[in-house]
Amino acid sequence: MNPLQESRDQKVYRPSMSSVWWLKKRNYFLFMMRELSSVFVAAFVVLFMYQLFLISEGEQTYGQFKESLHEPQFIVFYIIAFFFSVYHTITWFSVASKVQIVRIGTWTMPPAMVTGGAFVGWMGISAMVGWFFWI
Amino acid sequence: MATGGADLLIEKMSDPTITLSVFRYNSDKSGGEPTFQDYDVPYREEWVVLDALNYIKDYVDGSLSYRWSCRMGVCGSCGTMVNGEPKLTCSTFLRAYYPESIRVEPLEHFPVVRDLVIEMDDFMDKLQAVKPWVVRDEEKPVEEGEYLQTPEELADFKQFSMCINCMLCYSACPVYGLEDGFIGPAALALAHRYNMDTRDKGEDERAHVIASSEGIWECTFVGECSVVCPKGVDPAAAIQRTKVETTKNWFKSILMPWGSK
Repeated sequence: MNPLQESRDQKVYRPSMSSVWWLKKRNYFLFMMRELSSVFVAAFVVLFMYQLFLISEGEQTYGQFKESLHEPQFIVFYIIAFFFSVYHTITWFSVASKVQIVRIGTWTMPPAMVTGGAFVGWMGISAMVGWFFWI
Repeated sequence: MATGGADLLIEKMSDPTITLSVFRYNSDKSGGEPTFQDYDVPYREEWVVLDALNYIKDYVDGSLSYRWSCRMGVCGSCGTMVNGEPKLTCSTFLRAYYPESIRVEPLEHFPVVRDLVIEMDDFMDKLQAVKPWVVRDEEKPVEEGEYLQTPEELADFKQFSMCINCMLCYSACPVYGLEDGFIGPAALALAHRYNMDTRDKGEDERAHVIASSEGIWECTFVGECSVVCPKGVDPAAAIQRTKVETTKNWFKSILMPWGSK
């Protein structure tokens, strides 16, 4: 480094970033919650995969695990995971129109329609899954 | 005459004032540590924060340093933190804060040279790295006329060309604050602007910068860059769309290695 640059570098003030920067603004906090929600979504998926694996281990093993799901810690986990999953989905679908421009020929779909379509698709698939488990 | 003078004095004394708490830094003074200095300045409904800073500079403390130029939200020179928010001081009115005091600090995430003046070398280097200009393989002769575009083609990138390089988005971006190498919102938005321009042929030349680990993939979509932009540009959208385009191009190169983009 040349001496002039070195001398200039020594003279500038370099502020450091606070470890609680994400508490400074509402948007930062909501962003961090969205990031945190991924942990719960991932944990839910891992648990669900484990549940599927236990089916292959026989009825008794799976039954024991299913029974353990009635314990308070699992119920609390599933409630938290549910709310975080809903939050994660809503926050991502709300920005879907920013990410993806939908164009058919020369017609560009309005952003509200892209976002609305994502929500309608989500509701539709959820209803189908719900119906599948109901019957 | 004397009565008139007294009236004027009384009027002056009763003029409303507003306090500006201004960040001061001079490496040769205060042991090289920043301080805050309070200034009482006249409150005028039509004044912006820049007017108050100019008042301080002209009548109270000539040593105060800050950047400004056009005074009409075009040049992008006067970006500072106003009460913790990145703002252009030329378009931030005192009346939005009066009668509370206003805290004025240099833009966050940048080294401070003096008072409100930041070092912008890092931004300038990154901006240049994405080649924010029309790149052509070959220029056609002037006689062949302009490079024509349809209104739809223009609409694809027009909003991103409104960027004035004020760096407010960098100040609002926590990723840039945490990761020095991150190319950042404005530079990536401008890269997208030129990639979307039908006259441009520089997408491949920009790809190694914007698709690098310090480019688009560093962005975690906080979205605050778009919130603070004084020109209504949406850098967050530009970055996410570039991610989609880059991914599509990558899949194309895998599935159709013989095809061109």
